[in-house]
Amino acid sequence: MSSSEKYRILLIEPSEIIASGFRAVVSKSTDFEIVNTLSNLSYYTPAQAHCDIIVINPAVINYNERFDIRSYFLSDDEDICIVALTNSGYEENVMRQYDGCINIYDNTARIFQKLHTAIEEAKQSPKNELNELSTRERDILVAVAKGKTNKEIADEYNISVYTVISHRRNISRKLGINSIPGLTVYAIMNKLIDISDFN
Amino acid sequence: MSDNTLYSDRMKMAELVAADGNLLSILQRLGIELGFGEATVADVCARYGLSKSLFLVICNIYSFRHYAPAMDSLDKNDIVHIINYLRVSHKYYKEVCFPGIHNKIHKLVEGLDDINRRLIDKFYDDYDNEVNNHFYFEENVVFPYIDSLFNAVFAGENEFSIVKFEENHSNIGEKLNDLKNILIKYLPEKYSSPMRFEILKEICAMENELRKHSLIENKLLVPLVQNLENSYE
Repeated sequence: MSSSEKYRILLIEPSEIIASGFRAVVSKSTDFEIVNTLSNLSYYTPAQAHCDIIVINPAVINYNERFDIRSYFLSDDEDICIVALTNSGYEENVMRQYDGCINIYDNTARIFQKLHTAIEEAKQSPKNELNELSTRERDILVAVAKGKTNKEIADEYNISVYTVISHRRNISRKLGINSIPGLTVYAIMNKLIDISDFN
Repeated sequence: MSDNTLYSDRMKMAELVAADGNLLSILQRLGIELGFGEATVADVCARYGLSKSLFLVICNIYSFRHYAPAMDSLDKNDIVHIINYLRVSHKYYKEVCFPGIHNKIHKLVEGLDDINRRLIDKFYDDYDNEVNNHFYFEENVVFPYIDSLFNAVFAGENEFSIVKFEENHSNIGEKLNDLKNILIKYLPEKYSSPMRFEILKEICAMENELRKHSLIENKLLVPLVQNLENSYE
């Protein structure tokens, strides 16, 4: 990126006060500029997707869609960087969809640092990783396919339930398979478990 | 047509369909016959007793990936039209789309070894049941509930609310996505066949269809019904 070019930000924030404040902060930056501000998603159109970063207050996302924010924005441009702007906590599996999270109490330097980190994070999106399952992931996949609960798996491998959930999420992302029956089919097709385990 | 121009009621119906052939299936399930000449969207909707604002919102949802409907174009009288649309869509899925996929799956598994045949067969049958239960629940519990709410015969017992519907709303797109990836990636290469490609094309189209369908449920129907529920409190 040349010095004359700035990262373009689309801001989606319902509070006029917070939006103005954020615009004032970003106006001091040599690396970022706000190209548009929306108060909610009703006004969002594909043309606005031509930005590098979407900074959005997660509260504008419908509650029942909170796990799938990317489907709002992504089409061909999967590299778009989405950053939350918030002052309250959200569930981990909601927040992990964002490439970064700016708290409204963050100072200017911290905000710029977070935006830069988020740009890097978005570039290293999961689609670039090697999608082979690790040995541990394969073990956990087999246990899941055999119908074991997260708690049982955690006890068996002496890890926390949280770690099991995190492994399962990675497995599903790598394989593109989410349901337990789907994982079972995968495990049998790849001879990780026997058809007799399948009922 | 530019990517940013949404449809309007003064456009000719023919222009919409020419712009996006996917809209044909919406016309079909709503019973709109072809041969409408130069009639506008407003004309055609009036002739069929459809809500033109809802019709446009639905077409925009189908054609524009990033379109987020502005709720002020719809009001509670559209609820009946939305339910009608959802019902005719279910009928279309049950009578046309899923049987089409099922028939092809049936042909595909004929060529598989015993293990893979059992795997795919069982996965699809379970999925099929899940889909039917899902539609059955909506048609026999959710829609009648909304009807009673709308017709003000609601007894106020609050056993059910649309929020519960949201919570119980199983994601029937997820398993279809699993099946898609299994057929794309994991059923062994030796079983690649024209039929496998055909199934995948239909699954991809169906996935897209279900995405739009749940968008209509979650973004249009649920908020309107919530407003209606609140008006009783």
